[in-house]
Amino acid sequence: MSTATRFRTLKDMPKEDYLSAGNTMCAGCGGILAVRIFHKVLGPNVAWVNAAGCMTIAMSYPLSPLKSNWIYTAFASAPAGAQGVRDALDVLVAKGKLPVSEDMKVVVVTGDGAAYGIGFQSTAGAIDRHLDFYYLCYDNEAYGNTGFQMSSSTPYGSASKTTPPTAANPIGNTHKKMDLFEVWRAQGAPYVATLSNSHGVDFLKKVEKGGTVKGPKLYIDFAACPTGWGYDPKDSIELEKLAVQTGVWPLKEAVDGVVKHTLVPRSLLPVKEYLKRQERFSHLFEPAEMTDVIRTIQSSVNAYWAEAGAREGFSVKVPDSA
Amino acid sequence: MMLRVRFHGRGGQGAKTASRILGDAAFNDGYYSQDFPIYGAERRGAPVAAFTRFSDGEITERGFIFSPDIVGVMDDSLIDDPLANPFAGLRKGGCAVVNTTKRSDALLADRKDATIIAVDLTGMALKMLGKAVLSSGIAAAVARVAGIGESQFLAAVAEELREVGLSEEMVRKNVELAMAVYGQLAPLELRTEELPTKLELVPLAVVVSGEGMEDVTRTGNSAVRHTGNWRTFKPVIDYEKCTDCMICYAYCPESAMSVREDGRVAIDYDNCKGCMICLTECPLRAISQTMEGGTR
Amino acid sequence: MPTEGDLADDGGGHAVKGKLLTGNAAAASAARLARVDYIPAYPITPQTEIIETIADWVREGTMDAKFVQLESEHSMMTAAGTASLAGARVFTATSSQGLLYAMEMLYNVSGWRAPMVLVNVSRALAAPIVLEPDHNDVLAARDSGFIQLHSETCQEVADMVLLAYRVAEDSRVMLPAIVNLDGFYLSFTRERVVLPDQKGVDSFLPPYQPPHPLRASQPVAKGTAVMEGFVYSYFKYNMHAAAVRAKKVFSEAARDYKELFGRDYGPVEGYRLDDAEYVIVMSNSFTTLGRQAVNRMRERGVPAGLLKLRMVRPFPTEEVVALLKGRKAAAVFDQNLSPGSGGILFPEVAASMYHVRDRPQTILPVVGGLGGKQLTSDEMTSIFEEMIAVNSGSKPLAPMFLMRSEEMAKVKRAVALAEGGS
Repeated sequence: MSTATRFRTLKDMPKEDYLSAGNTMCAGCGGILAVRIFHKVLGPNVAWVNAAGCMTIAMSYPLSPLKSNWIYTAFASAPAGAQGVRDALDVLVAKGKLPVSEDMKVVVVTGDGAAYGIGFQSTAGAIDRHLDFYYLCYDNEAYGNTGFQMSSSTPYGSASKTTPPTAANPIGNTHKKMDLFEVWRAQGAPYVATLSNSHGVDFLKKVEKGGTVKGPKLYIDFAACPTGWGYDPKDSIELEKLAVQTGVWPLKEAVDGVVKHTLVPRSLLPVKEYLKRQERFSHLFEPAEMTDVIRTIQSSVNAYWAEAGAREGFSVKVPDSA
Repeated sequence: MMLRVRFHGRGGQGAKTASRILGDAAFNDGYYSQDFPIYGAERRGAPVAAFTRFSDGEITERGFIFSPDIVGVMDDSLIDDPLANPFAGLRKGGCAVVNTTKRSDALLADRKDATIIAVDLTGMALKMLGKAVLSSGIAAAVARVAGIGESQFLAAVAEELREVGLSEEMVRKNVELAMAVYGQLAPLELRTEELPTKLELVPLAVVVSGEGMEDVTRTGNSAVRHTGNWRTFKPVIDYEKCTDCMICYAYCPESAMSVREDGRVAIDYDNCKGCMICLTECPLRAISQTMEGGTR
Repeated sequence: MPTEGDLADDGGGHAVKGKLLTGNAAAASAARLARVDYIPAYPITPQTEIIETIADWVREGTMDAKFVQLESEHSMMTAAGTASLAGARVFTATSSQGLLYAMEMLYNVSGWRAPMVLVNVSRALAAPIVLEPDHNDVLAARDSGFIQLHSETCQEVADMVLLAYRVAEDSRVMLPAIVNLDGFYLSFTRERVVLPDQKGVDSFLPPYQPPHPLRASQPVAKGTAVMEGFVYSYFKYNMHAAAVRAKKVFSEAARDYKELFGRDYGPVEGYRLDDAEYVIVMSNSFTTLGRQAVNRMRERGVPAGLLKLRMVRPFPTEEVVALLKGRKAAAVFDQNLSPGSGGILFPEVAASMYHVRDRPQTILPVVGGLGGKQLTSDEMTSIFEEMIAVNSGSKPLAPMFLMRSEEMAKVKRAVALAEGGS
């Protein structure tokens, strides 16, 4: 795997845009920003394969913001759609029916609902078959397109339309966020990475690096969602930054199963700083602060970094969770 | 007598809530009543519509209102938005209530047969609520014009806003705002008449004359959508301060920024939705914001 | 020993003997002859033999294609559709629960206008789970936008697969197709099949050239969302028109096929219809039993005949009308059941005849063969007897649901065992 990179500062971000202006996503959408940046690294020759989600609506007939190829498949089977495209291109090239110059990178793009939930069977099959494709999950931690219902990616303590905090159930969602990174890694995917749009150079480098690997490549982008999370769209990048700085969203990659954190904060900001900026966590602060819940979230973040540090040989100063 | 009301807003402005407040108000006032939103994949800032019908007899209509007696326009930028087309089908003798700072005669010059009422709802909401929440204001204007009783209407405002989860304080402030708007206007004697239309059904042979496959071969053609209309605030680059660090360019989710030949960043105002990430992220504060014209 | 009558003509004037093949082997052979590029697959009884055969051929190098086993029929159909959009000729096969598991994707694949060919080996649907055939599976896909061709014999299976590609890929159609064959009664039954020669198939079936495949140099967006009902209506009406056109395209293709290979296929097929007054309408493998019943009735002096539906989508309304009008009575034999309504094809046949002045006075609905329930000759002739009795006014019209007394006795014993008691 190549270690050289063409990305050292944000100024190195390629200036070609393969996403045209005039898409239908909400103002400040982290998901479409991820698609834009991802595409810049991949270059023009891409076939996107999509599962139902916000991005599906971005491609509404007769207007296509993406300048490349696109297929909307169904909610559950975008990776299988990628299989069909990849295999067809391979067999047509092998039979001499298609010039190699027509070959493309095949990229599945879905939200977390498809990636963590309904599309998981199809995803597992694609990893198992070692399909050569990219999977870009724009993870806004709920079913955003249908109005923000909980998914397997919704974190503990988050409100959602199907886990509303009530007097009887004041916490909101009581499940822990599923660890998709580890699931892919355990299944033997050669490249797995987390991304945050707020850390653009890290983002660019990872897409570049994955491009040198043949096989299934997962990118989970932490995609701020002003509409679902409840904050002013201007703060999308700020919230993504806070998620990284509080340690809620670790930036890491796994190459052939070996995990490495690509950004190790010297010390973490308290999770509270991140939580209190969003309507989806407002019940943890109003009318009274739910200190035990916030403490639970803080201690799970602290435990994560303690374990990661022990494994990789770093230490992170964590906020008090007692 | 039946009145058909069509509300036009942008995703997030509360068109659906307005239609429900009016629906409740009419119901409270003893009418048969029906309300519904267009249920699409509406996005914050994108044009949306919602509908209320009420009648002293049973309502035998359903679905989209093509010929409204009253339209409530929550954002005057919608007037020129072909996706919204808020005055389409407005009946002769009908009424349009527009949230705007413009004069009413500047709004719909070619429709002398309809009453145009201009109200600065955004201004009043900013003053009384501290933010541009428009649902109770537009509902109040329409309810008053339509002659719905005040107490029945105000009860509906409180009922609906509690339902969407507003705090008691905000509910109270909204009721006050609604009272103020209601008090400014007077009921209209609406005698409306449908605009003449001619139905022409297209035979199947005409419908299927093309290739009929759903392919977009002109990919990258979305700039014609002009999502710049969604904007509340407009980012402005101060090129004196800008050092071309490219941070704003990197974080624009819209591809509404480009790098010019001279290496400077330019904003595509036709499609910039005004998310203001660029303003937040600019390390040198070289980007400022101005309020868009009209209602904003 | 084959007689002169058993020998078919290969189109070049040469008599060929053919060989014994199962319906599944015939389907696989036709896929190979069609030079398909890609086979996404998933096992299910009684279809599995098809994909096993193809997997063998691809692995041993006697079939130049890519074979991939997916993790479900839903994924299999997704991959089949997207590969077709990318410009590959695609073949796959399934049965029963598999077809229903893939059902969401059938509508997508047809909406994409991706002309792949799917062989469905009919098997009745759970619950209760059963392995033997009826047609609720394939008829569940009736409204999906797939062309549907149903086979009576193993020979027809091979021929229909080749015709299906030619029709599906025609620029006037561009819709996927299902070729149906009955599980067990065809899938595992060996009978004589004459496979067309490769050279002939190559001239019959030109390379697949879709108008806008996915390409790096000419990108295309497929399956984009539509936000308005009238745009959706436009595309759906166009699918309907393309499906309707498929009938004419089929007839053209069938003419070429006959010229090359000697076998003549129409959207429907009549048997002893010339002077027939009583006609049974049916499809798939039990049609053979229908022919036998016609012969037995003819021996008794009854002018009986049979109308076979080969093409089910598009529905061959004009052909049904032409062959049923002027008859005294007809019966529609449905090997399927829509609970609360009855057979699924009956209303389609009856609707076709409604505005015809000299339509049969009686159209008798018959349901039989569910879950592969076997049918005796007497059971089949009883349909004609019922038709005649109803038509003569000696019996009121009531739908028939076939069940023999000895079968009912066995059911009663089974129920007693299951539920205890005496």
